[in-house]
Amino acid sequence: MSLAEPQSRFFRPDRALLIQAAVALATLALVLGPLVPVLWQSLLDRPLYEADPLFSLDNYVRLFGNPRFHDALGNSVLLALLSTLIATVLGVAFALFLERTDMPGRGWLRNLTLWPMYVSQLVLAFAWFILYGPSGYVTLAVERMAGVPLWDMYTILGMGLLAGTSQAPVVYLFCSSSARMADAMLEDAARSVGAGPLRALWSVSLPLMRPSIIYAALLTFIGSLEMLAVPLVFGKPVGLEFFTTFLYMEGLGAITPDYGLIGAAATLLLVVISILLVIQGLLLRQSKRFVTVRGKAQRPKLAPIGRVGWVVCGLMSLYTALVLLLPLAGIVLRSVTSFLTPLMSPFDLLTLDHFEILFGYEAYRRSILNSVFIAAFGGALATLFVAMVALVAHRSEFRFRRALEFVALYPRAMPGIIAGIGMFWAMLLLPFAHVLQGTIWLLMLAFTMRGIPMAFGALSPTLHQIGRELDQGARSVGADWWTTVRVIILPLMKPALFSAYVLLFLAFLKEYAAAVFLFAPGAEIIGTTMLTFWTNGSTGPVAALSVIQLAITALFVTLARRSLRTNKDV
Amino acid sequence: MSEVVVDRLNKHYGPVQALHEVSLHVPDGEFLTLLGPSGCGKSTTLFAIAGLDSPSGGRITVGGRDFYNGASGLELPPEKRNLGLVFQSYALWPHMNVRQNLAFPLRLRKVGKKEQDARIEEALALVEMGAYIDRYPHELSGGQQQRVALARTLVFRPSLLLLDEPLSNLDAKLRIKARSWLKQLQRQLGLTTLYVTHDQSEALALSDRIVVMEKGRVSQLGSPEEIYRRPANAFVADFVGASNFLPGDVVDRNAITGTCRVKLAGGDVLTALWPDNSAPPAGSLLTVRPEHVKLSAEPPLPGPDVNILAGRILERAYLGARLLYTLDCGHGMVVMAETETRVEGDTAWLCFAVDDTLLVRA
Repeated sequence: MSLAEPQSRFFRPDRALLIQAAVALATLALVLGPLVPVLWQSLLDRPLYEADPLFSLDNYVRLFGNPRFHDALGNSVLLALLSTLIATVLGVAFALFLERTDMPGRGWLRNLTLWPMYVSQLVLAFAWFILYGPSGYVTLAVERMAGVPLWDMYTILGMGLLAGTSQAPVVYLFCSSSARMADAMLEDAARSVGAGPLRALWSVSLPLMRPSIIYAALLTFIGSLEMLAVPLVFGKPVGLEFFTTFLYMEGLGAITPDYGLIGAAATLLLVVISILLVIQGLLLRQSKRFVTVRGKAQRPKLAPIGRVGWVVCGLMSLYTALVLLLPLAGIVLRSVTSFLTPLMSPFDLLTLDHFEILFGYEAYRRSILNSVFIAAFGGALATLFVAMVALVAHRSEFRFRRALEFVALYPRAMPGIIAGIGMFWAMLLLPFAHVLQGTIWLLMLAFTMRGIPMAFGALSPTLHQIGRELDQGARSVGADWWTTVRVIILPLMKPALFSAYVLLFLAFLKEYAAAVFLFAPGAEIIGTTMLTFWTNGSTGPVAALSVIQLAITALFVTLARRSLRTNKDV
Repeated sequence: MSEVVVDRLNKHYGPVQALHEVSLHVPDGEFLTLLGPSGCGKSTTLFAIAGLDSPSGGRITVGGRDFYNGASGLELPPEKRNLGLVFQSYALWPHMNVRQNLAFPLRLRKVGKKEQDARIEEALALVEMGAYIDRYPHELSGGQQQRVALARTLVFRPSLLLLDEPLSNLDAKLRIKARSWLKQLQRQLGLTTLYVTHDQSEALALSDRIVVMEKGRVSQLGSPEEIYRRPANAFVADFVGASNFLPGDVVDRNAITGTCRVKLAGGDVLTALWPDNSAPPAGSLLTVRPEHVKLSAEPPLPGPDVNILAGRILERAYLGARLLYTLDCGHGMVVMAETETRVEGDTAWLCFAVDDTLLVRA
C-alpha cells in the first residue's frame, strides 16, 4: 500500500526549478553580458566607464557621416555577396555530384571537401598569402613565366575567392544531408518520363534542395559579413576597409578609441545580421512544399553520369589541390625555411629558427598551451553547460524554455569581434569583473557564449529523437526531473555530447576574433600571437604557429574519429 | 505495337538471387498483373522493364525493340524507353504544381506550348482532375495525387503503362472505387499495362491475366479464373486465399475424370481434382477454400461428387454476413469454413464438392 504513495513523485519539487532557473539566468547573463554594453555605448556621448553620460543619437549621425564607414559598408556587402555566390555555387555542386551521382572518387573527395572547416580562416588566409599573395610563391612563379602578375589578391574579387572557397564546405554540409535524404523515386520518376540523369539532377534534385540552399547561402552571407581574417590580411595593406576591420582599427589602432562610434557601428552590424537571421527563419517555415509522402523504403540510388563523372572528379581534385592542399603545403614549407621564393630552392633555406623562437619564449609557449587548455577544458565545460541549456529548453516544464532557446541561439548574430568588444566593455562596467580581466577564463566565457548555438544545434536533434515516454517512464516510477535527466537522458545523449565537444574543441582552438580585444599578457592564444607576429611582418613564426595549430587539429580529429568508431554502440 | 517479351530475366544482389529466369509474354493491349508477397521480385521485374533497375541477365523486348539484352550488354537508359511508370509513392515532384508536373515530360519532348496546354488539359480531364491544375502536390489528397501521377504518365502517350502498387496508399473504400475507374480507363485507352500488387482481390478484379511470383520465380501465369480455381501449387493456392491444406497419401489416380483419391491421416479417403497427366508427386496437399466448405449438424448424404469429414468446432468468428468456423478434424488437421449456416453444439459435419477440392504440389 505504501508503495503506491504518490508523495515520492513530488519529492523535492523545487530542485528542478532551481537548476532550470540557474541555467536560464547563466545563459541570459552570458549573452546579454557583451550585448548590453554595446547597445548602451552606442547611445552615450562619452565612453561608457565615465560618469554622467548624456543620451544621444550623435554616434549614429557621426557614423553615417563618416566616409570611411561608407566605404567599409559597401566593401563588406560586396565581399559578402561575392563570397556567398562562390560558396553556394561550389557547395551545391559538390553536394549534387558527391551525394547524388556515381562520379568516381566520391569517398575521398567527400572528406577532402570538408577539410577547410577544420582549418582556421586565419591560417587559410596566411597560407593563401604565402602562395598567392602579391609576393607569393605561385604569384611570382607565374609572373616570371607570363611577364606580368596574373592576379591580385588585394582586391575584393581575390578576397571573395578565398572567403567563398573557405565557406563552400559549410554549404556542402547543409545541402549534402538534404541531397542524401532526397527521395530517389522523384529522380526515377523524372528518368521514366524521359529526362537524362543530368537533366533529372537539374530539374528535380536541385530545386528540391532549395530550402537548404537558401539557408546555407544566408549562413555564408552572415559568415562573410562577420569575417575578420581575410579583410585583415588582404584588405588592410591596401587600405580596403570592411565592417570588421573598421571596428578592429577603431578599437585597437587609434590612440584614443572612439567608443561611441565603435558602439554605433557594432550595433548596426548586429541589427543587420539579426534581420538576416529572422528572414532565414521565415523562409525555413515555408519549406513544406518540399516534403512529400513516402511510399515503401526507398532504394538508395545514384545517377549514372558516366564520363562526365571523370571530368568532375578531375576538376574537383584540381580545385582541392589549388584551394587547400597547395596552400597548406606552402605554409608548412614556409615554417621551415628562412624565406620562400621561386628563385631559390627551398632546400637551401631550411631552418628551424621559427620553431625555436616559438619554443624559446615563455609568452609564445604559453599561447600554445593556453589555446590547448581552453579548447580541451573550456570545450568540455561548455559542452556540459550547453547540454544543460538544451535539456531545459527541450526537456523540462520550465516556463521560459522557449525564451531560453531564443536567447541561446542569439549569439549566431554576434560576430566574434563584437563579442570581444562587448565582453571587454562589460568588464569595465561590472563590479568585481576585474578578477576575470586579462585571464584565460574570460576568453573561455567569450568563446562559450559564441559556441552555444553550434553545440545546441548538435544536441537538439538527438534530444528530439529520444522518446518522451522514456522521461515519462522515469517520472512515473518516482524520479524527479533532475534524476531523470542525469540517469536517463544524459547517458542516452553520449554520442551527441561527444560530437558537440569535438565541434567546440575545434571552434575554441581556431577562435581569434573574439580574443583580439580580450587577450593580455599571460592570456595569449595562438590566434592573437599569430596576429601580433603578422603585424610585425614576421611571416615565419606565423607559419610555424599555423603548422602547430594544424597539427593539434589533425591529432584531435584523428583521435576523435577513432574513438567515434570504437564507441559506435554507445 | 507494344507487345512485351521478358525472356529468362535474372537479377542478383550479391549472393541473393532476386529474379530467377523470369519469362513473360504480354500481348498488345493486355492488362497483366504481377502478384506476390513482398520480396517476390514483382517490383524488381517492373523496374527492370522501366530501366530503373539493372538485371543481371536475360532479355527485355518491347514492341519488337530490345530494351535490355544481357547477352549483348545492351541496356537502354530509362529516359529512352518512353514508358509511363506510376510509383507507389506517386513521386510527384513537390516543388512543381500539377500543371508543371505534367508539363515536364512534354518539355523534355520539345512539345510546343500550345500543344502542351491541350495535352495537359486532355490528360487531366481523363483522370477528372482538371480543376486542380494549379495545386501543389501537398495540397492534394492521396487519391487525387494518385490520379495526377497517372495523368503525368498518360500525358506523353507512353507505349506501355507500368503501375507499381498505385492503390496501396489509398484507404479501403477509395481503393475499390479507384480500381474500377482504373480498369475502365485502361480499356478506353487500350494501353498495354503491367500492374504490380500484393492484393489478390485487386489482381483478380483488374487483370486479363495474372502472374503469381514467388522468391524471384514465376509460380503460375494464367487468367484470374485459372489462378483462382486451379492454382498450380500450394503457394499460389495459399496466396489467393485457399487457406485449408490437408496432407495425405494418394491412393489412386483416375486419368479420365482427372481426379485422385487421397487418404488422410485419420483414414478418411477424399477425392480431389488433379488435372495433370502425370502422377502427383509425394507430399502433395489437398486444398479447399473456406467458403466452399458447408457445415451441418446432421451427417450429409454421401455421393461420388462430395467429400465429407467430421470435426470438432474450436472457434466461431462472426464476420457479419457470414461466420468463420475453425474446426479440428483430428490428427492435427485444422480446417476453416466460412458459411452462412449457424451450427450449434461442439461438433459438425463438413461437406465440400469434389469440384472445389484440389490436389496441389507443396
